[in-house]
Amino acid sequence: MPSPLRVPRVNNNDDSVRVVELAVKAGDFVTRGQIVGAVETDKAVLDVPVEHDGYVLQVLYRKGETASVGSVLLWLGENAGERVIEQTREVYAPRAATPARPTAKAQAMLQELGLAASAIPAAGERLTVGDIEAWLAKEPVPSRAPGSARITPTESPPDVAGTYHDLSAEERGMFLTVSWHRDHAVPGYLEIEYDPKAWNDYASRFAEQNKLLLSPLLALLAFRLVELAKKHPRINATVVNDRRYQYDAVNLGFTVQSGETLYLAVVRDAQEMNAGGFIATLGEVQRHAMGHKLSPSESSGATLSFSSMARWGVGRHIPVVPPQTSLIVAHAATRPSGGAVLGATYDHRLLTGFDVVQVLQSLAQAPA
Amino acid sequence: MPLDRETVKAAIRAKVIDLARALNIDARGVDDGDILPATGFLDSTAILELVVWYERAYDLSLKQEEINIDNLGSINAMTDFLLSRKTRSDA
Repeated sequence: MPSPLRVPRVNNNDDSVRVVELAVKAGDFVTRGQIVGAVETDKAVLDVPVEHDGYVLQVLYRKGETASVGSVLLWLGENAGERVIEQTREVYAPRAATPARPTAKAQAMLQELGLAASAIPAAGERLTVGDIEAWLAKEPVPSRAPGSARITPTESPPDVAGTYHDLSAEERGMFLTVSWHRDHAVPGYLEIEYDPKAWNDYASRFAEQNKLLLSPLLALLAFRLVELAKKHPRINATVVNDRRYQYDAVNLGFTVQSGETLYLAVVRDAQEMNAGGFIATLGEVQRHAMGHKLSPSESSGATLSFSSMARWGVGRHIPVVPPQTSLIVAHAATRPSGGAVLGATYDHRLLTGFDVVQVLQSLAQAPA
Repeated sequence: MPLDRETVKAAIRAKVIDLARALNIDARGVDDGDILPATGFLDSTAILELVVWYERAYDLSLKQEEINIDNLGSINAMTDFLLSRKTRSDA
Protein backbone atom coordinates (compact mmCIF):
# COMPACT_ATOMS: atom_id res chain seq x y z
CA MET A 1 0.00 0.00 0.00
CA PRO A 2 1.46 3.38 -0.94
CA SER A 3 2.73 5.50 1.94
CA PRO A 4 3.38 9.22 1.89
CA LEU A 5 6.57 11.07 2.72
CA ARG A 6 5.38 14.43 3.97
CA VAL A 7 6.96 17.85 3.80
CA PRO A 8 8.73 18.36 7.15
CA ARG A 9 8.49 21.41 9.35
CA VAL A 10 11.75 23.34 9.55
CA ASN A 11 10.76 25.67 12.35
CA ASN A 12 7.69 26.54 14.35
CA ASN A 13 7.01 29.86 12.69
CA ASP A 14 6.80 28.75 9.07
CA ASP A 15 3.90 26.76 7.64
CA SER A 16 5.53 26.58 4.24
CA VAL A 17 8.99 25.64 3.01
CA ARG A 18 10.86 25.92 -0.28
CA VAL A 19 11.94 22.71 -1.97
CA VAL A 20 15.62 23.28 -2.73
CA GLU A 21 16.66 19.76 -3.67
CA LEU A 22 14.92 16.66 -5.02
CA ALA A 23 17.25 13.80 -5.79
CA VAL A 24 14.74 11.11 -6.83
CA LYS A 25 12.14 10.49 -9.51
CA ALA A 26 9.26 8.06 -9.97
CA GLY A 27 10.53 4.50 -10.33
CA ASP A 28 13.67 4.98 -8.19
CA PHE A 29 14.29 2.53 -5.37
CA VAL A 30 15.25 4.18 -2.08
CA THR A 31 16.45 2.78 1.21
CA ARG A 32 15.61 3.81 4.74
CA GLY A 33 17.51 6.90 5.80
CA GLN A 34 18.43 7.91 2.26
CA ILE A 35 18.32 11.68 1.74
CA VAL A 36 15.89 12.30 -1.10
CA GLY A 37 15.74 16.07 -0.96
CA ALA A 38 16.07 19.22 1.09
CA VAL A 39 13.73 22.03 2.12
CA GLU A 40 14.47 25.43 3.51
CA THR A 41 12.98 28.52 5.06
CA ASP A 42 14.68 31.87 5.57
CA LYS A 43 16.11 30.45 8.78
CA ALA A 44 17.37 26.96 8.02
CA VAL A 45 17.82 24.11 5.54
CA LEU A 46 16.69 20.59 6.35
CA ASP A 47 17.56 17.31 4.62
CA VAL A 48 14.61 14.98 3.98
CA PRO A 49 15.31 11.27 4.58
CA VAL A 50 12.91 8.42 3.76
CA GLU A 51 11.59 6.36 6.64
CA HIS A 52 11.63 2.96 4.94
CA ASP A 53 12.75 1.13 1.82
CA GLY A 54 10.55 1.34 -1.25
CA TYR A 55 9.97 2.53 -4.77
CA VAL A 56 9.18 6.15 -5.50
CA LEU A 57 5.70 6.10 -7.05
CA GLN A 58 5.15 9.78 -7.55
CA VAL A 59 6.94 13.04 -6.73
CA LEU A 60 4.51 15.88 -6.19
CA TYR A 61 6.84 18.88 -6.12
CA ARG A 62 9.64 20.29 -8.22
CA LYS A 63 12.81 22.00 -7.14
CA GLY A 64 12.13 25.65 -6.36
CA GLU A 65 8.46 25.23 -5.47
CA THR A 66 6.95 26.26 -2.17
CA ALA A 67 5.13 23.52 -0.28
CA SER A 68 2.80 23.43 2.72
CA VAL A 69 4.25 21.70 5.79
CA GLY A 70 2.59 18.30 6.17
CA SER A 71 1.54 17.94 2.56
CA VAL A 72 2.77 14.92 0.60
CA LEU A 73 6.22 15.37 -0.92
CA LEU A 74 6.28 11.97 -2.59
CA TRP A 75 4.62 8.54 -2.44
CA LEU A 76 6.51 5.32 -1.73
CA GLY A 77 5.35 1.78 -2.46
CA GLU A 78 6.54 -1.76 -1.96
CA ASN A 79 6.63 -2.27 -5.70
CA ALA A 80 6.92 0.13 -8.58
CA GLY A 81 3.52 -0.76 -10.02
CA GLU A 82 1.37 0.36 -7.08
CA ARG A 83 -1.17 3.06 -7.72
CA VAL A 84 -1.38 6.19 -5.62
CA ILE A 85 -4.81 6.40 -4.04
CA GLU A 86 -5.04 10.10 -3.34
CA GLN A 87 -3.42 13.29 -4.47
CA THR A 88 -2.70 15.76 -1.73
CA ARG A 89 -0.23 18.17 -3.27
CA GLU A 90 -0.71 21.60 -1.81
CA VAL A 91 1.18 24.48 -3.31
CA TYR A 92 1.34 26.99 -0.53
CA ALA A 93 -0.57 30.19 -1.00
CA PRO A 94 -1.29 32.66 1.76
CA ARG A 95 -5.00 32.53 2.40
CA ALA A 96 -7.29 35.45 2.80
CA ALA A 97 -9.47 35.37 5.90
CA THR A 98 -12.49 34.61 3.72
CA PRO A 99 -11.80 33.12 0.28
CA ALA A 100 -13.69 34.76 -2.56
CA ARG A 101 -16.61 32.67 -3.76
CA PRO A 102 -16.06 31.38 -7.29
CA THR A 103 -18.47 32.13 -10.10
CA ALA A 104 -20.28 29.13 -11.59
CA LYS A 105 -17.84 28.93 -14.52
CA ALA A 106 -14.88 29.32 -12.18
CA GLN A 107 -16.27 26.58 -9.91
CA ALA A 108 -16.53 24.21 -12.89
CA MET A 109 -12.96 25.05 -13.90
CA LEU A 110 -11.70 24.45 -10.36
CA GLN A 111 -13.45 21.10 -10.23
CA GLU A 112 -12.03 20.08 -13.58
CA LEU A 113 -8.50 20.98 -12.50
CA GLY A 114 -8.85 19.64 -8.96
CA LEU A 115 -7.97 22.97 -7.38
CA ALA A 116 -9.14 24.65 -4.20
CA ALA A 117 -10.71 28.09 -4.53
CA SER A 118 -9.01 29.16 -1.32
CA ALA A 119 -5.57 28.77 -2.91
CA ILE A 120 -6.19 31.28 -5.69
CA PRO A 121 -6.33 35.04 -5.11
CA ALA A 122 -9.30 36.90 -6.57
CA ALA A 123 -8.97 40.34 -8.12
CA GLY A 124 -12.54 41.25 -7.16
CA GLU A 125 -15.25 40.07 -4.80
CA ARG A 126 -15.78 36.81 -6.71
CA LEU A 127 -13.19 34.37 -8.04
CA THR A 128 -13.43 34.35 -11.83
CA VAL A 129 -12.10 32.23 -14.68
CA GLY A 130 -9.72 35.11 -15.40
CA ASP A 131 -8.32 34.87 -11.85
CA ILE A 132 -7.72 31.16 -12.28
CA GLU A 133 -6.07 31.59 -15.67
CA ALA A 134 -3.82 34.31 -14.26
CA TRP A 135 -2.88 32.04 -11.37
CA LEU A 136 -2.27 29.10 -13.70
CA ALA A 137 0.14 31.19 -15.73
CA LYS A 138 2.37 31.35 -12.67
CA GLU A 139 1.67 28.03 -10.90
CA PRO A 140 1.99 24.51 -12.29
CA VAL A 141 -1.15 22.41 -12.14
CA PRO A 142 -0.86 19.04 -10.41
CA SER A 143 -1.78 16.17 -12.69
CA ARG A 144 -4.29 13.76 -11.30
CA ALA A 145 -3.15 10.16 -10.86
CA PRO A 146 -5.07 7.76 -13.10
CA GLY A 147 -7.76 5.96 -11.18
CA SER A 148 -7.28 8.13 -8.14
CA ALA A 149 -10.10 9.71 -6.23
CA ARG A 150 -9.55 13.37 -5.52
CA ILE A 151 -10.32 14.39 -1.96
CA THR A 152 -9.01 17.94 -2.04
CA PRO A 153 -11.92 20.24 -1.25
CA THR A 154 -12.86 22.51 -4.12
CA GLU A 155 -15.79 24.27 -2.51
CA SER A 156 -16.05 27.57 -0.77
CA PRO A 157 -17.38 27.40 2.79
CA PRO A 158 -21.14 27.97 3.05
CA ASP A 159 -22.38 31.40 4.04
CA VAL A 160 -24.05 29.89 7.13
CA ALA A 161 -21.84 29.53 10.21
CA GLY A 162 -20.65 26.00 11.03
CA THR A 163 -17.67 23.91 12.08
CA TYR A 164 -15.45 21.41 10.26
CA HIS A 165 -15.20 17.80 11.41
CA ASP A 166 -12.76 15.21 10.10
CA LEU A 167 -14.36 12.22 8.44
CA SER A 168 -14.31 8.91 10.30
CA ALA A 169 -12.64 5.96 8.57
CA GLU A 170 -16.07 4.71 7.46
CA GLU A 171 -17.17 8.10 6.20
CA ARG A 172 -13.89 8.52 4.36
CA GLY A 173 -14.33 5.14 2.69
CA MET A 174 -17.80 6.13 1.54
CA PHE A 175 -16.48 9.51 0.39
CA LEU A 176 -13.78 7.91 -1.74
CA THR A 177 -16.20 5.40 -3.23
CA VAL A 178 -18.75 8.02 -4.14
CA SER A 179 -16.03 10.34 -5.45
CA TRP A 180 -14.71 7.62 -7.75
CA HIS A 181 -18.23 7.05 -9.04
CA ARG A 182 -18.58 10.80 -9.65
CA ASP A 183 -15.13 11.51 -11.06
CA HIS A 184 -14.31 8.41 -13.07
CA ALA A 185 -17.25 6.17 -13.91
CA VAL A 186 -19.93 7.27 -16.33
CA PRO A 187 -22.74 5.63 -14.42
CA GLY A 188 -25.90 4.23 -15.89
CA TYR A 189 -28.69 2.40 -14.11
CA LEU A 190 -31.35 0.07 -15.38
CA GLU A 191 -33.60 -2.60 -13.98
CA ILE A 192 -35.83 -5.42 -15.06
CA GLU A 193 -38.95 -6.80 -13.45
CA TYR A 194 -39.03 -10.48 -12.62
CA ASP A 195 -40.93 -13.06 -10.60
CA PRO A 196 -38.75 -13.95 -7.58
CA LYS A 197 -40.79 -17.05 -6.68
CA ALA A 198 -38.56 -19.47 -8.57
CA TRP A 199 -35.48 -18.10 -6.84
CA ASN A 200 -37.17 -18.20 -3.42
CA ASP A 201 -38.22 -21.82 -3.96
CA TYR A 202 -34.75 -22.78 -5.14
CA ALA A 203 -33.13 -21.13 -2.11
CA SER A 204 -35.58 -22.90 0.26
CA ARG A 205 -34.77 -26.28 -1.27
CA PHE A 206 -31.06 -25.56 -1.10
CA ALA A 207 -31.31 -24.53 2.57
CA GLU A 208 -33.29 -27.64 3.47
CA GLN A 209 -30.96 -30.02 1.67
CA ASN A 210 -27.89 -28.47 3.28
CA LYS A 211 -29.44 -27.79 6.71
CA LEU A 212 -28.49 -24.14 6.45
CA LEU A 213 -29.37 -21.78 9.26
CA LEU A 214 -29.48 -18.70 7.05
CA SER A 215 -31.48 -18.30 3.88
CA PRO A 216 -28.98 -18.68 1.04
CA LEU A 217 -31.08 -16.63 -1.39
CA LEU A 218 -28.80 -13.60 -1.65
CA ALA A 219 -25.66 -15.71 -1.56
CA LEU A 220 -26.99 -17.90 -4.37
CA LEU A 221 -27.88 -14.84 -6.45
CA ALA A 222 -24.41 -13.43 -5.88
CA PHE A 223 -22.89 -16.78 -6.82
CA ARG A 224 -24.93 -16.79 -10.03
CA LEU A 225 -23.51 -13.35 -10.77
CA VAL A 226 -20.01 -14.79 -10.37
CA GLU A 227 -20.89 -17.51 -12.86
CA LEU A 228 -22.24 -14.92 -15.28
CA ALA A 229 -18.94 -13.02 -15.07
CA LYS A 230 -17.30 -16.00 -16.76
CA LYS A 231 -19.71 -15.68 -19.68
CA HIS A 232 -19.66 -11.86 -19.74
CA PRO A 233 -16.11 -11.00 -18.62
CA ARG A 234 -16.55 -7.26 -19.21
CA ILE A 235 -18.75 -7.03 -16.11
CA ASN A 236 -15.61 -8.06 -14.21
CA ALA A 237 -13.37 -5.30 -15.52
CA THR A 238 -12.68 -1.59 -15.23
CA VAL A 239 -11.16 1.23 -17.26
CA VAL A 240 -7.60 2.39 -16.60
CA ASN A 241 -5.97 5.02 -18.79
CA ASP A 242 -8.56 4.61 -21.52
CA ARG A 243 -8.05 0.85 -21.71
CA ARG A 244 -10.15 -2.01 -20.41
CA TYR A 245 -8.49 -3.66 -17.44
CA GLN A 246 -9.81 -7.20 -17.35
CA TYR A 247 -9.55 -8.83 -13.94
CA ASP A 248 -8.18 -12.37 -13.80
CA ALA A 249 -10.13 -13.28 -10.66
CA VAL A 250 -13.74 -12.63 -9.72
CA ASN A 251 -13.67 -10.99 -6.28
CA LEU A 252 -17.28 -10.60 -5.31
CA GLY A 253 -18.08 -7.58 -3.16
CA PHE A 254 -21.20 -7.94 -1.03
CA THR A 255 -22.62 -5.04 0.97
CA VAL A 256 -23.04 -5.73 4.69
CA GLN A 257 -24.61 -3.22 7.06
CA SER A 258 -23.26 -3.60 10.58
CA GLY A 259 -24.74 -1.06 12.92
CA GLU A 260 -24.11 2.29 11.29
CA THR A 261 -21.25 0.98 9.16
CA LEU A 262 -21.67 -0.21 5.59
CA TYR A 263 -19.01 -2.66 4.46
CA LEU A 264 -18.27 -4.09 1.06
CA ALA A 265 -17.17 -7.54 2.21
CA VAL A 266 -15.17 -9.38 -0.44
CA VAL A 267 -15.08 -13.07 -1.39
CA ARG A 268 -11.87 -13.48 -3.32
CA ASP A 269 -11.34 -15.91 -6.20
CA ALA A 270 -15.03 -16.72 -6.21
CA GLN A 271 -14.73 -18.09 -9.75
CA GLU A 272 -13.00 -21.15 -8.35
CA MET A 273 -15.77 -22.03 -5.89
CA ASN A 274 -18.92 -24.11 -6.09
CA ALA A 275 -22.18 -22.86 -4.63
CA GLY A 276 -21.63 -24.49 -1.24
CA GLY A 277 -18.10 -23.18 -0.91
CA PHE A 278 -19.15 -19.70 -1.95
CA ILE A 279 -22.03 -19.61 0.57
CA ALA A 280 -19.73 -20.78 3.36
CA THR A 281 -17.03 -18.24 2.49
CA LEU A 282 -19.51 -15.40 2.13
CA GLY A 283 -21.07 -16.39 5.46
CA GLU A 284 -17.69 -16.15 7.09
CA VAL A 285 -16.83 -12.70 5.71
CA GLN A 286 -20.33 -11.51 6.60
CA ARG A 287 -19.74 -12.63 10.19
CA HIS A 288 -16.40 -10.83 10.20
CA ALA A 289 -18.08 -7.68 8.89
CA MET A 290 -20.83 -7.92 11.52
CA GLY A 291 -18.14 -8.14 14.18
CA HIS A 292 -16.12 -5.28 12.59
CA LYS A 293 -13.29 -7.76 12.08
CA LEU A 294 -12.82 -7.87 8.32
CA SER A 295 -9.25 -8.57 7.28
CA PRO A 296 -7.69 -6.27 4.64
CA SER A 297 -8.16 -8.92 1.96
CA GLU A 298 -11.83 -9.24 2.92
CA SER A 299 -12.47 -5.52 2.71
CA SER A 300 -10.71 -4.57 -0.53
CA GLY A 301 -10.20 -5.73 -4.07
CA ALA A 302 -13.80 -6.20 -5.19
CA THR A 303 -14.07 -6.62 -8.96
CA LEU A 304 -17.85 -7.09 -9.16
CA SER A 305 -20.49 -6.36 -6.53
CA PHE A 306 -23.92 -7.24 -5.20
CA SER A 307 -26.12 -5.23 -2.90
CA SER A 308 -29.54 -5.87 -1.40
CA MET A 309 -31.82 -3.58 0.54
CA ALA A 310 -34.68 -6.04 0.55
CA ARG A 311 -34.65 -6.46 4.33
CA TRP A 312 -35.57 -2.80 4.69
CA GLY A 313 -38.51 -3.18 2.34
CA VAL A 314 -36.80 -1.03 -0.28
CA GLY A 315 -38.38 -1.69 -3.66
CA ARG A 316 -35.69 0.06 -5.72
CA HIS A 317 -32.27 1.46 -4.99
CA ILE A 318 -29.50 2.78 -7.21
CA PRO A 319 -26.12 1.98 -5.66
CA VAL A 320 -22.90 3.73 -6.64
CA VAL A 321 -20.34 1.75 -8.63
CA PRO A 322 -17.52 0.69 -6.27
CA PRO A 323 -14.08 2.00 -7.31
CA GLN A 324 -12.47 0.29 -10.28
CA THR A 325 -15.38 -1.99 -11.04
CA SER A 326 -17.94 -1.82 -13.80
CA LEU A 327 -21.10 -3.29 -12.29
CA ILE A 328 -23.01 -3.61 -9.04
CA VAL A 329 -26.30 -5.51 -8.90
CA ALA A 330 -29.09 -4.06 -6.79
CA HIS A 331 -31.51 -6.59 -5.29
CA ALA A 332 -34.74 -5.23 -3.84
CA ALA A 333 -37.76 -6.32 -1.83
CA THR A 334 -40.61 -8.31 -3.32
CA ARG A 335 -43.63 -6.10 -3.97
CA PRO A 336 -47.09 -6.88 -2.63
CA SER A 337 -48.03 -7.97 -6.15
CA GLY A 338 -45.39 -10.71 -5.94
CA GLY A 339 -43.08 -9.14 -8.51
CA ALA A 340 -39.72 -7.52 -7.86
CA VAL A 341 -36.98 -5.67 -9.67
CA LEU A 342 -33.36 -6.54 -10.25
CA GLY A 343 -31.31 -3.46 -10.99
CA ALA A 344 -27.71 -2.66 -11.78
CA THR A 345 -25.57 0.44 -11.77
CA TYR A 346 -22.79 0.16 -14.32
CA ASP A 347 -19.87 2.06 -15.80
CA HIS A 348 -21.14 3.09 -19.21
CA ARG A 349 -17.60 3.55 -20.46
CA LEU A 350 -17.34 -0.21 -20.55
CA LEU A 351 -20.83 -1.66 -20.63
CA THR A 352 -23.86 -0.87 -22.73
CA GLY A 353 -27.40 -1.09 -21.45
CA PHE A 354 -27.84 -4.16 -23.64
CA ASP A 355 -24.89 -5.87 -21.95
CA VAL A 356 -26.41 -5.23 -18.55
CA VAL A 357 -29.91 -6.30 -19.55
CA GLN A 358 -28.53 -9.62 -20.75
CA VAL A 359 -26.81 -10.16 -17.42
CA LEU A 360 -29.88 -9.19 -15.39
CA GLN A 361 -32.18 -11.40 -17.45
CA SER A 362 -29.87 -14.35 -16.93
CA LEU A 363 -29.58 -13.55 -13.24
CA ALA A 364 -33.34 -13.48 -12.85
CA GLN A 365 -33.54 -17.09 -14.00
CA ALA A 366 -33.23 -19.45 -11.04
CA PRO A 367 -31.28 -22.67 -11.60
CA ALA A 368 -33.51 -25.67 -12.29
CA MET B 1 -18.63 -20.30 36.93
CA PRO B 2 -20.67 -22.98 35.10
CA LEU B 3 -23.36 -21.72 32.78
CA ASP B 4 -26.93 -22.19 33.88
CA ARG B 5 -29.21 -23.62 31.17
CA GLU B 6 -32.22 -21.47 32.01
CA THR B 7 -30.11 -18.32 32.22
CA VAL B 8 -28.60 -19.01 28.81
CA LYS B 9 -32.02 -19.67 27.29
CA ALA B 10 -33.38 -16.45 28.76
CA ALA B 11 -30.46 -14.46 27.39
CA ILE B 12 -30.84 -15.91 23.88
CA ARG B 13 -34.60 -15.40 23.99
CA ALA B 14 -34.11 -11.77 25.02
CA LYS B 15 -31.68 -11.24 22.16
CA VAL B 16 -34.11 -12.78 19.65
CA ILE B 17 -36.85 -10.46 20.87
CA ASP B 18 -34.49 -7.50 20.74
CA LEU B 19 -33.37 -8.23 17.16
CA ALA B 20 -36.97 -8.77 16.03
CA ARG B 21 -37.97 -5.47 17.59
CA ALA B 22 -35.47 -3.72 15.31
CA LEU B 23 -37.50 -5.13 12.41
CA ASN B 24 -40.77 -3.96 14.01
CA ILE B 25 -41.72 -7.54 14.82
CA ASP B 26 -43.05 -8.69 18.19
CA ALA B 27 -41.25 -11.94 18.98
CA ARG B 28 -42.24 -12.24 22.62
CA GLY B 29 -44.16 -15.39 21.75
CA VAL B 30 -41.09 -17.27 20.58
CA ASP B 31 -40.81 -20.77 22.06
CA ASP B 32 -37.52 -22.34 22.97
CA GLY B 33 -38.13 -25.16 20.51
CA ASP B 34 -39.17 -23.00 17.57
CA ILE B 35 -36.98 -23.31 14.48
CA LEU B 36 -35.88 -19.69 14.29
CA PRO B 37 -35.60 -19.27 10.49
CA ALA B 38 -39.11 -20.71 10.14
CA THR B 39 -40.75 -18.41 12.69
CA GLY B 40 -40.45 -15.32 10.50
CA PHE B 41 -39.33 -13.31 13.53
CA LEU B 42 -35.80 -12.87 12.18
CA ASP B 43 -34.50 -12.52 8.67
CA SER B 44 -31.12 -13.90 7.59
CA THR B 45 -29.22 -10.78 8.57
CA ALA B 46 -30.81 -10.76 12.01
CA ILE B 47 -29.97 -14.43 12.50
CA LEU B 48 -26.41 -13.62 11.52
CA GLU B 49 -26.42 -10.82 14.09
CA LEU B 50 -27.70 -13.34 16.65
CA VAL B 51 -24.83 -15.71 15.81
CA VAL B 52 -22.24 -12.93 16.08
CA TRP B 53 -23.70 -11.88 19.44
CA TYR B 54 -23.73 -15.54 20.62
CA GLU B 55 -20.05 -15.97 19.78
CA ARG B 56 -19.12 -12.75 21.54
CA ALA B 57 -21.36 -13.18 24.59
CA TYR B 58 -20.14 -16.71 25.33
CA ASP B 59 -16.59 -16.38 24.05
CA LEU B 60 -17.10 -18.97 21.35
CA SER B 61 -15.38 -19.25 18.01
CA LEU B 62 -17.63 -21.05 15.56
CA LYS B 63 -16.48 -22.82 12.45
CA GLN B 64 -18.58 -22.01 9.43
CA GLU B 65 -19.72 -25.64 9.13
CA GLU B 66 -21.04 -25.53 12.72
CA ILE B 67 -23.51 -22.80 11.80
CA ASN B 68 -26.40 -25.02 10.81
CA ILE B 69 -29.95 -25.84 11.83
CA ASP B 70 -28.95 -28.80 13.99
CA ASN B 71 -26.59 -26.75 16.16
CA LEU B 72 -28.17 -23.30 16.20
CA GLY B 73 -31.66 -23.65 14.76
CA SER B 74 -33.58 -22.94 17.97
CA ILE B 75 -33.05 -21.46 21.41
CA ASN B 76 -32.88 -24.98 22.80
CA ALA B 77 -30.35 -26.05 20.16
CA MET B 78 -28.19 -22.99 20.76
CA THR B 79 -28.23 -23.64 24.50
CA ASP B 80 -27.39 -27.33 24.13
CA PHE B 81 -24.59 -26.58 21.68
CA LEU B 82 -23.10 -23.95 23.97
CA LEU B 83 -23.22 -26.14 27.07
CA SER B 84 -21.76 -29.05 25.14
CA ARG B 85 -18.87 -26.94 23.86
CA LYS B 86 -18.18 -25.47 27.27
CA THR B 87 -18.30 -28.89 28.94
CA ARG B 88 -15.85 -30.22 26.36
CA SER B 89 -13.47 -27.31 26.83
CA ASP B 90 -13.64 -27.68 30.63
CA ALA B 91 -12.85 -31.39 30.50
